[in-house]
Parts: sequence; C-alpha cells; structure tokens
Amino acid sequence: MATFENVSITDDAALLLDKAHKDRVETVWDRHDAQQPQCGYCETGLSCRICIMGPCRIDPFGEGPQRGVCGADADIIVARNLCRMIAAGAASHSDHGRDLVEVLAAVAEGKAPGYRIRDEAKLKAVAAEYGLETEGKDTLALAGELADAMMEDYGMRRKCLTLVARAPEKRRQLWEKIGIIPRGIDRETSEMLHRTHMGVDNGWQSLLLQAMRNALSDGWGGSMIATEVSDILFGVPQPHPTTVNAGVLKKDQVNIVVHGHNPVVSEMILRACRSEQMLALAKEKGAAGINLAGVCCTGNELLMRHGIPMAGNHLMTELILSTGAVDMMLVDYQCIMPSLGAIAGCYHTLMISTSDKARFPNMEHCEFHPDNAENLARDLVARAVENFARRKQVYIPVEAVKAVGGFSVEAVVGALGGSPEPLAEAIKAGKIRGAVGIVGCNNPKIKHDYGHVTLTRRLIENDILVVDTGCVSVATAKAGLKVPEAIEMAGPGLKEICGALGIPPVLHLGSCVDNVRILVLASALANALGVDICDLPLAGAAPEWYSEKAATIGTYFVASGVFTVLGPMPPVTGSANVVGLLTEGLKDVVGATFAVEPDPEKAAVLIRRHIEEKRKALGIPALEI
Amino acid sequence: MKQVVVHPERCLGCMQCMVACAVAHSRSGRLYTALTEKPRPRPRIHVGAGLYQEGFPNRCRHCDPAPCQLACLAGAIFRHRETGTVFIDPDKCINCASCAMACPYGVIRFHEDPAAPPGKTVAVKCDNCDRRRAQGLVPACVEVCKSGALTYEEMDAAMGRKTAEVARSMSAGAEAAVSAPAIDLLMAVKKARLAL
Repeated sequence: MATFENVSITDDAALLLDKAHKDRVETVWDRHDAQQPQCGYCETGLSCRICIMGPCRIDPFGEGPQRGVCGADADIIVARNLCRMIAAGAASHSDHGRDLVEVLAAVAEGKAPGYRIRDEAKLKAVAAEYGLETEGKDTLALAGELADAMMEDYGMRRKCLTLVARAPEKRRQLWEKIGIIPRGIDRETSEMLHRTHMGVDNGWQSLLLQAMRNALSDGWGGSMIATEVSDILFGVPQPHPTTVNAGVLKKDQVNIVVHGHNPVVSEMILRACRSEQMLALAKEKGAAGINLAGVCCTGNELLMRHGIPMAGNHLMTELILSTGAVDMMLVDYQCIMPSLGAIAGCYHTLMISTSDKARFPNMEHCEFHPDNAENLARDLVARAVENFARRKQVYIPVEAVKAVGGFSVEAVVGALGGSPEPLAEAIKAGKIRGAVGIVGCNNPKIKHDYGHVTLTRRLIENDILVVDTGCVSVATAKAGLKVPEAIEMAGPGLKEICGALGIPPVLHLGSCVDNVRILVLASALANALGVDICDLPLAGAAPEWYSEKAATIGTYFVASGVFTVLGPMPPVTGSANVVGLLTEGLKDVVGATFAVEPDPEKAAVLIRRHIEEKRKALGIPALEI
Repeated sequence: MKQVVVHPERCLGCMQCMVACAVAHSRSGRLYTALTEKPRPRPRIHVGAGLYQEGFPNRCRHCDPAPCQLACLAGAIFRHRETGTVFIDPDKCINCASCAMACPYGVIRFHEDPAAPPGKTVAVKCDNCDRRRAQGLVPACVEVCKSGALTYEEMDAAMGRKTAEVARSMSAGAEAAVSAPAIDLLMAVKKARLAL
C-alpha cells in the first residue's frame, strides 16, 4: 500500500491519501504497486502487438528470439511502438482542436446558444493568417470562413499547414529540406498508422522522421488551432490572481469540479455557476455560494481566462474526491482515470461524463453539444446545488495558496511593452540566462510534484525564466512559485527583470494544448534575434510525464529545435540505435535532442549546461557549468 | 534428470510464466477456454517485485529434505523417487497450512483445483509439470520464458555453465556475466528514479 509520506511533496496529497486509505479508497499509487514488476519487454519497447502473426517479443539478452514473426528486429519494433505512441498523442490533442473548430462553426451558424466570439481582434488576426479578407466582414461570417479554413488543415488538400508560417524561416527551410513539413493534421496521424502496419515502413530512421512530422502536425496544427480557437471563443488570457490546492474547496459553498481538457464544457458550466438564478437556488439550499474549481487542464483553461481556482493536478484527481466536499465532478476527456466513478460512490459526489467520445464506469452520461450546452449546464449546476444538502463529513485539510495565471503570448509581450525585444535584450545581457518550458503530467513512478518543483526552483535560482503548462503549472503554483513575491527565490538577474515587470519568475502559460504558446514565444524570440529556435538558450522538460500526448509534445519540441529532458524513460531502451538517434543523432537532423534524467537536480545541471553552450555559440556572455 | 533452473537476473517481469502455468494446470490446457473454467486455474509460479521493481520468478525448489513434507501431519506431501519432485495429494490434504508455514519460499497457495475433489480447498504448488513431461514436453513456465530466466536442463550442465560464466567474468577487464544494454540502461534509470 502506498504510504502517504513517500508519494508526494505536497501536504494536501499526503493528508488526503491518509484519509482515502481510512475510507478504504484504492488510489493510483496502490494500483501502481500492484502492477510491479511491470513487464520488461513492454518497458524496453521490445514487445509488438501490431499484427496477429504475433504477439512477439525480442529477448534483450540476445539468446531468445531476435526478430518478430514478420522479421522485424529490435530497432523496427521499438521505432514502430514509439511512432504509434506519438500518433495517439497527436490524435488526442488535435481531435480536441477539432471539437473547438466545430463549436466555432456552430457559433457562425447561430446554432450554439451561449457561445459567442469573445475576442474579435484575435479572430481577425488568425483569419488574416489564413489569408481571409477580414475588412468590413461580419464577425460571424468571418468565424464561419475561418472554421472552414481550419477544417481544411485537418485534411489532405494542403502542402503545408497554415500556422507553420509562424515558425522562423530557417526552421521551415530545415523541415522542408528533411521532408517533415506537416501537410494535414489527420493525414500525418493516418500516415503514421499506415507506415507502422506490418510490411510498410521498416526503416527505423524514416519511421521516426514521420513521427516528427506527425508531432509537428499537432504542435503547429491541431494543438495550435485548439489554443487559438479557445482564445477566440473564450478570450485571450490575461494575468489573473487565483488560488490552488485542495484548500480551494469551500465548506459552506456548493463545490463543482471540472476535470478533463476542453473548455467547451467547462466554460458553459462557469456561466451557469455565475447566473443569478443558480446563485439564488444555492442560497435557498443553505449554501453561501457556488464554488467552481478545476483539476487537470480544463481547470487550467478556466484559470487562464477567469482566475478559477485549481484544486489539483493529475495525481490529485482521485484524492480531491476523498475530501467528501465535491458535490459534482464533470469530466470531458483525456487523463480521466476510470477509477473516479467508483471513488465518488464512496461519497455523495455526482459524477457526470459529458463527451460523446468518452464514457466511464459509474458515471452518469449527459452529453454536451453546441446546441444544448447552455441549458444542460444550467440543469447540471442545479443538480449539484441540490446535492449540497446530501454532504456528509467534509475534510479540507489545507489552506489554499495564492498564484497568478493567465500568461498568453499576448499577455507576456504586453507585459514586456509590446515586443519580445526587452526579453531578448535581458537574455543578451545575461540577466536572464535563458528560458525553459516545463510541461507534462504526473506519474506515480516519480514522487508527486517533486520533479516539477525541484527543477523549477533550481532553474529560477540560476536566472532561468520558467514557463509552464498543464500539471506542472499546478505543482509550481502550490509550491508558491507563481506569485510576484516568488522573485525572492530567483537569482539576482531574473529577480530584477521580473520585479520590474511585476511578474512571477514562473509563468503559467496554460493547459497542455497551450504548449503551442511556448512555440510561438520561442519563434518570436528567434525572430527578434534573427536566428533559428535551436540557436536560442532554451530547453524543454517533462519531469513527470506519463501520457502519449506528452510523448508528442516532447517530439514537437525537439523537432522545433528545443532540447528536451524527460524524467521517466520512454519505452525505447530495447534499441540502442533508436536511443542513439533520439539522444544524439537528432542534433544533426533538427538541431536538438532528447535527454532522459529522472533526478531533477541533475536535469537542472543538464539544462543549465545546454543553455550556456547556446549562449556561447551566440557570442553572448556564457558560464562554464 | 533435467530440472527447472531459475536465473533471476534475466527475469523481465512479464509474468508470462504465471499465465502459462495456470493454463498448463487447467482442465482444457488452452488459454481461451481456461479463462472460463471453474474453478479458475491459478499459477503455481509467482513473480514478485525486487527492490528495484525487477521481476523475480518464485517457484518451488523441491527441497530435499522438504520442510513442507516434514511438516505435513496428514501425510499428503510425498516425493517422487525418480524425478525428485515433491507432490501434494489433494485427497489427503486437510488444508491446515502447516506446509505453507514451513516453506522458506512462500510458494504454497490454498485454493480449489481441478485435480482436487470439487469444492475442496487444498494446498497447491509446483508439480514440475509432470503431466507435460510425461508427454515429452518441457515445463510450461520454461517454454514461455523468452529471456532465459527459466531454463530446463541437467543440473550438472547448468552448474558447469554457471562456473564458466563466473570464471570468465573474473578475468581482468571482463564485463558482467549478464549484460544487455537495453536492460542495463532501463535499470540504471529505474534505480536513479527510485533513489530519489
């Protein structure tokens, strides 16, 4: 059984895990223990389930079988498995983007009551990038045209995705040269699955090139569309004060928690929570108000745009229920543990699944569509309010911590005075050594939040600006690193710059699709300095990643020229060739590589060394690390 | 006489041996049908997790003298003279668990079994796949192990091979007896992770 001292660095996780055990609730850590030892063939990437001449496995000790039934060796099997992982990640984020484009189209047709174009300026700016005439055009008509144009990006009629134009010219030329310009969002995923079918692409190098093109189709395609359309429909994020950890739940209020990824549902729930009618109903039922909180990335979406508090990240999603204080949890898709419904059954919590794509055991399914979302959200919030009276014992063991979120690229550039030049100048002068995007999930293989928080602390101490998204952003906010006063924990140069701008040394850039904001920011910086992304003193890190989506994000970071350090080892060690390509060979292909380092202290050293090497190559002051 | 030899440093923790063992001791002997049988067939080999979450296939050593046999007051545990295999007679077993308390390896389990009288819970452990061996087959766990963690060989030959391996590893500049870059790298990362 997982003991509460060794699974997390956070107090709320430790205390709530203790409570969960007393309540006989089984958690992700218990199930992880029960799974030990995990299969070595699968961990090394040497098992193949692609066809039914198999399943096959390769003996890494060299005496047993060295080829699958089809003849695939370790290199081919490991590469195919990794490719399929990346394809699944790209499919997930990009399909999330598709759902937003469909809402945009429905808004244009007047078939999505409750949704509207919240940011016309962004609509026009993005439409212009798609080559649409924006002057004097009706907003809804333009939204419809943009939705159509984006749908074309999903198909096979383009030679290059539209938003790839945002990448620096040198980067685009490089992609062109090595043949990995993404052509269609669905096309690249589809081609990846085709190539990994038995008897198609059996070159481990060419497979991995297509995996990079597939990841780029997400990073500069599906995910980027998801972020941009979310901004158009729900507003471009601006810095907002907020609070984080399990203490954001309120004893005297109706607590509704949204979990999942897509703002399409959570935004409607927020509207309903703020309606006069629902607030009056809450009062009538004896509650002081309605408290909407988030877990996972749909929470980040609301936090970015409205300052909605975050109750926790991936590994907190089960524990939050064991407070007994959640009157309703609504889920859409991705990263929602199928255990949640059963856990909610131990308390009074109503569990609602909302997406036609995602069903879960022990949850009530209430499907949201653009046409019914407004009314359904109101009905569900009313049920949550009614459920407030059924609460039994409530255990909220901690006080919420303050944080600031909402740093879109527009907000960051705005804070810099309208151009990325001041950031570039601070980097040149060495006040800021460089910048790192820390992204990704939690994983029970790593002490909860330890990787995120330790790495972030070490980097800001050394004058490296940190931008984060997803589960990382909650971890660092809980650690108190996301308030302007946190500059006290930063090195002198970073402290000076952030202090002058009034911003924290760790900037919350959003949900996991919002990693594309990092790409856009990196491109702006590269253009400001007249170099390629891979020349910049930048790095990426995923200290506690677990999901296929994270594999894709890491791949589009590297393919875009960003050195990326992973915490947990991906299932590739079975092929020395694949490991060599990912950690060394890619440098000659895309100018960046992966590294794997589970210890965040050592990862920080790797990253600092990389940043100083890049500084040296740029001819600006560099240190020896 | 050939015996099953365990090489724990080669175990990848895939648990294929557990599945194969359960199927070999089912009524039908086939995976898909075994899954629906009652009582549900269970393995007699058990893969545990080591300090670094590496696999360890734990099976009956058929000790001689066997502590379980000495502890069995009902006289249900006996040794087959030619093969050295220690068997439990399910008809004589009284489910007292004395054998399990005496077993230093914890490989005796108690449950219903196709070979036992219906409805009776009995002590169950590895029988060296005597039925399969009678058909000229190797024990099921050995057959499915592709990484060489379980082998079926003459004890003298196995010991000779081990002596040679150890001797070679003692030579100046020699690498470890068992070396697989894929596993070495994975284990290094695992150990680093677990050391945190």
